[in-house]
Amino acid sequence: MSRTIRALTALCGTAALFAVAACGTESDVPESAGGSAQPDEGTECAGADGEYLIGMSQANVAEPYRQQMDDDIEAAAAEVDQFEVVFADAAQDNAKQVADVENFLTQGIDLLIISPNEAAPLTAVVERAYNEGIPVIVLDRKIEGDSYTQFIGADNTEIGRAAGEYVATELLPDGGSVVELKGLPGSTPAQERADGFRAGIAANPNIEIIAEGVGDWLREKGQSQFEAILQAQQAIDVVYAHNDPMAEGAYLAAQAASRQSEMSFIGIDALPIPSGGIKAVEEGRLSATFVYPTGGKEAIATAEEILVQCAEVDKEQILETELITVENAAEIYARNATQ
Amino acid sequence: MTVDTTDPVEKPVEQSRRRRFVIPERFFTFQSYVALILVFLAAIIFSPRRNGEIVFLNSENLLNIVRAVSEIGILAIGMTFVILIAGIDLSVGAILGLAATGTASLLMVNDFGVAMTVLIILAIGMAFGATQGYLSARLGIQAFIVTLAGLQVARGLARIWSGGQGIALAYGDGPDVAPQAFSLLNSRTFNGTVPIPALIFAGVGVIALIVVRKTVFARHVYAIGGNERAARLSGIPVTRIKVTVFAISGLLAALAGIIHAGQLNQGSPNDGMGYELDAIAAVVIGGTSLMGGVGTVSGTLAGALLLGILNNILALNNIDSNVQLLIKGVIIVAAAGIQAFRSQQK
Repeated sequence: MSRTIRALTALCGTAALFAVAACGTESDVPESAGGSAQPDEGTECAGADGEYLIGMSQANVAEPYRQQMDDDIEAAAAEVDQFEVVFADAAQDNAKQVADVENFLTQGIDLLIISPNEAAPLTAVVERAYNEGIPVIVLDRKIEGDSYTQFIGADNTEIGRAAGEYVATELLPDGGSVVELKGLPGSTPAQERADGFRAGIAANPNIEIIAEGVGDWLREKGQSQFEAILQAQQAIDVVYAHNDPMAEGAYLAAQAASRQSEMSFIGIDALPIPSGGIKAVEEGRLSATFVYPTGGKEAIATAEEILVQCAEVDKEQILETELITVENAAEIYARNATQ
Repeated sequence: MTVDTTDPVEKPVEQSRRRRFVIPERFFTFQSYVALILVFLAAIIFSPRRNGEIVFLNSENLLNIVRAVSEIGILAIGMTFVILIAGIDLSVGAILGLAATGTASLLMVNDFGVAMTVLIILAIGMAFGATQGYLSARLGIQAFIVTLAGLQVARGLARIWSGGQGIALAYGDGPDVAPQAFSLLNSRTFNGTVPIPALIFAGVGVIALIVVRKTVFARHVYAIGGNERAARLSGIPVTRIKVTVFAISGLLAALAGIIHAGQLNQGSPNDGMGYELDAIAAVVIGGTSLMGGVGTVSGTLAGALLLGILNNILALNNIDSNVQLLIKGVIIVAAAGIQAFRSQQK
């Protein structure tokens, strides 16, 4: 008998959730739509007098680059009196990120900033936000279609090309052999950083990529992959890693084999944090790294244009990279770091 | 405090002290519902309010919660049966990923119809689970090990199937697009209010509740979990039941994977990472003992909803994501703690 009771209770519990939900439907929906601070289709803009809640949906703060993006947004938003920013972290889970954005919509945000984990899974929910009249700023990774207000990101192919040109003209003007450590296979940045690099070194036909390792963006994988490559290759002049952690891992492997002075290491990202690439350049482990900007500061600037200045913004904002060498490392670190 | 006594005296003192803390068995039976109601009430109390409206109780929000837990909930139902026979299934997240990848691949690359795709994927999930059950039951390898290996195999298969890439779904007629019918999983019914995945979750829940209450199979499951030796001696086909249980878990994981692909318009080999842990958490919060033999499907449903409400209310209040992890950890330990207390009391 108690089993029956249990079954009934469970059913009632589930049913209650649906029931409460159903009851609310009619009265709530128009009210919440009308009550939100966001005007329909931009008919009017409260401007500098408004108070704005901004939702920032991050794909995965476990990646230092993405934590830095959040930090940049927080620091920039602190300068704008009208802004309050709330953060959510999807921990690399598309489904979680969809729920995060839904929760933001429930909270009635006035603007959405999202750095999507992947394009296809997040497109629908971002579209929903955009169609509700909420301005959407997409950071770093795109979504499909054009249901967003502005995309802010860097061009990975350009960064790869800049790295290639630096190798071709500065590090190996007379040619030499390069080892490439790649990011996660199948990820767009890994592909673009590889393609761009090849275009960059094409100017110097004496440069040859003699080995490619897959480091999945990780320091430890960069290290173990490069250990094996060191065994196989006698002459290595430059190690080009798709990000700084893998370059650092390769450096550790070379150091263990006492071969680190035979070659130069270059990476990408240049995060202004103690464990980041800029410090590694400053301390002489890496020869160079290229800034992959987070766009956090720019996102808040765009949000200010949209909400406070009531201005129209461009659909796309492509951020420039910057070469970091030992000459400018300390200066750029001081400039980019968020206290 | 007369604790400083010799052994023979201490024992009765301790016993009588323990008796004072005896909690009626009925409390444990309703443990997960009590917890669910408490969390629900807490969510109402702590909910942000907008124009006097309690945001948490907004119909859309409540439906979002059920939608968000539907995949974990379905996995947790299968996991309940596995844990009831004192097993564990670490492979469900990976099977979900394999199923999502396979679904997207069959629809987009092979141009299969929806029904065909769903059947094939469910069969794969069931076969995968059954194989794990067979290895565990017949060869006597612990379920933990078998499904840990299964996790790797399923991820590997998914990567091979898709060439390591996620496969995005696009809808329409003709080749290289998925049939429009499949986008149903990403839609809402009843005037665009109730998400389809939430309905499927509810449906699976009802079926599981009926199975648990009405079938001989379920009685055998409880018997095996309670005392496998005794069950075997009394003529219960232990191996067959175990294989069936793992097959159910695999089948439900595949179903969740199909839903996953539909909800997110994509199947990727990395989908569902760590979902097995959330599913186990839902089962444990639902009052099912990892020792087997004790627990209910209804408790698991309550546990899954509890986790969903918790995630939601923490997010609505903008609790830092790192702190959210701490809070969830505390709740799982609390639930397990009550379980431990219960078995001590017996």
